[in-house]
Amino acid sequence: MSNPSTIRESRVSRTAVMALMFLLAIYFLLPIYFLIVAATKPQGELASTNGLAFSHFNLFDNLRVLFTRSDGVFGRWVFNTVIYAVLGAAVGTLISALCGYALAKFQFRGREFLFSVILGGVLVPTTALALPLFLLFSATGIVNTYLAVFLPSIVSPFGVYLARIFANAAVPQELIESARLDGAGEFRTFFSVAFKMMTPALVTIFLFQFVAIWNNFFLPMVMLQKESLFPITLGLYEWNGQTARAPLLQESVITGSLVSIVPVIIVFILLQRFWRTGLAAGSLR
Amino acid sequence: MSTTITRTRLAVVAAAASIALLAGCSSSDDSSDKTSAAPCEPAKGKVTLQYWNTVPGMDKVVDLWNKKNPNIQVETKNISNDQYGTLGNALKAGKAPDLSQVGYDELPNLRTQNAFVDASACKEATAAKSKFVPWTWSQASFGGTGVFAMPQDTGPMALFVRSDIFKKYDVAVPKTWDEYEAAAAKLHKADSSLTMTFFDPNNAEWFNGLLWQNKAEMYSYADNKWQVNVESDQSKQVAEYWQKLISDKLVRTDLANGSTQMYAAYQKDQIASYVGAAWGYSMFRDNLPKQAGKWSIVPMPTWGTDGASGDWGGSTVAFMKGSKHLYESVKFNTWLNSDPEALALENKLGGLYPAANAGLKLPALSQGVPYYNNEKIFDVFADSSNKIDTSFAWGPTQKTVNLALQDAMAKAAAGDGTLTDALAKAQATALKSMKDQAIPATAGK
Repeated sequence: MSNPSTIRESRVSRTAVMALMFLLAIYFLLPIYFLIVAATKPQGELASTNGLAFSHFNLFDNLRVLFTRSDGVFGRWVFNTVIYAVLGAAVGTLISALCGYALAKFQFRGREFLFSVILGGVLVPTTALALPLFLLFSATGIVNTYLAVFLPSIVSPFGVYLARIFANAAVPQELIESARLDGAGEFRTFFSVAFKMMTPALVTIFLFQFVAIWNNFFLPMVMLQKESLFPITLGLYEWNGQTARAPLLQESVITGSLVSIVPVIIVFILLQRFWRTGLAAGSLR
Repeated sequence: MSTTITRTRLAVVAAAASIALLAGCSSSDDSSDKTSAAPCEPAKGKVTLQYWNTVPGMDKVVDLWNKKNPNIQVETKNISNDQYGTLGNALKAGKAPDLSQVGYDELPNLRTQNAFVDASACKEATAAKSKFVPWTWSQASFGGTGVFAMPQDTGPMALFVRSDIFKKYDVAVPKTWDEYEAAAAKLHKADSSLTMTFFDPNNAEWFNGLLWQNKAEMYSYADNKWQVNVESDQSKQVAEYWQKLISDKLVRTDLANGSTQMYAAYQKDQIASYVGAAWGYSMFRDNLPKQAGKWSIVPMPTWGTDGASGDWGGSTVAFMKGSKHLYESVKFNTWLNSDPEALALENKLGGLYPAANAGLKLPALSQGVPYYNNEKIFDVFADSSNKIDTSFAWGPTQKTVNLALQDAMAKAAAGDGTLTDALAKAQATALKSMKDQAIPATAGK
């Protein structure tokens, strides 16, 4: 008697969950759908046709205009964003891994205090740091250079936190001991033993950093003045501010937004296997 | 995409807050500088000027200059997203650029804050007077009391009409505001979904253009005192006119200028005309390409037999306080705003309608425009430009007054009060805001 009812109950709840998920999926995907639709339209049909229905297919022309506008400055922005995001995330991940590993595997005085300070850093929003950083960089004279955006991007307290948790869990002390016994130096131990075991966590950290830098807007806005150093976000923002004078820029802003989310989607799809492992591991400990 | 937008908003708010902080920290010393003209000496060797603006493609124009003038290099910064915020913060921090784009209606405000340097010691600056459309020079020089800016572009107003709709209902294109009202009634009677135009209650700049046309001299300066006369008979005439159109439902009040809804309404043939400015010609061409050939541009309807026109928008390039290279700034600024090659490029890339007389004769501005039936639409704007009242002046707290005016106009559009009440509100706000800033002012008349 009880068996069918539990099955039905679970079916009901499952349907409810599915329905909710479905609604949420629509909620999250609708803006992207709009973006895709809008990016295929010529400027003249943006305002005059239904926003959610395709009309004249003009995507390739829009892309051509986007990449040739102002001597191809958009291509430059894409290049800059890739530099900031890939290099920044890679270096940032390496630093986080080294710090986390050291905090997890070495006993030294003030270790817990240091870790608490780093954890405190997680609580400080990067936006709040942009201005003090600007003043510092302005005094050092590296405002308006690649470094002004790159240097702050490689610091990630959350990455250090994740790396420590994961190094604690995934790298057995015995293994390190035996590596040491075999005569490996600390760096050798880290790179050839610990690093590989920490890979899922490192991919997670890399992804976090990559997305954060890719979407970063405020820091470059504060730091950069030269258009040729802009990342995509800032460049599109600047174009968007000019649409009143140059209406045709609007379509380029929309097409540019679509182009700018493609790499993030690709990176996510490629690395999602690691991403999930890393997230789960992080949440367990 | 949606997250990007929220981020952007947040960031903007944060930026405003934090930059205000920054401005608070830095010591700004504005003790010594008086309004007397600064010396005009050429520098020895190479100089680099900072020039902030909001014009698309301005960097290309500056590249042209930089190529020709290796010793006066110019760096541009685009501040289109928060023009006056960015400029105001920089001024407070003592880091203003040498030159900055400033709208005509913001000039008095910034001058009150002592933001400009008078370039009249430079011969080239004073000699530039004859190069510009009279009213623009009058505003940039504050009635000839100095040279604080060079006029860059203007927005002489005209009437954009859907000739096909007028033809369809056999209504003549109006030449006066009285005819405009009669035509509006006719069109609306013929088709109840059709209105003559829309009144955007949140666009004080546009409404000011209409007041300007009727020679509503809202501000004047005499005996070290501002005379505030926002609520003059001339402005009341304009307000009452539009109030009547609104009350009779002959114009819509639910559309914002340049919004998607506005274009959609024009697309659906619901609106027959547009009271616009020269820079607006590309709005319709680019957003409503299917209506090519249906639009014409004719002079603004006039008040009776007075042929005066109005201006909506436009900017100057101002000489900012703190600049160490006034001589070079004048050289660049003059070239930027009166050299035909520079003007042609600004018009092509940035859509600027020039304030220089030479600019009005540009080849690009003497040709027929295909979208408008190959009509020479710029002749209409050039004509309008020369019929704009030269004695019109803006107030030193224009922005605050505009906001109050918009507020009251929005209420009037919703049936709460009238546009005449809105003028009274603007007058009161003007006096109060000037009193708050310790600017001597009295109500005119």
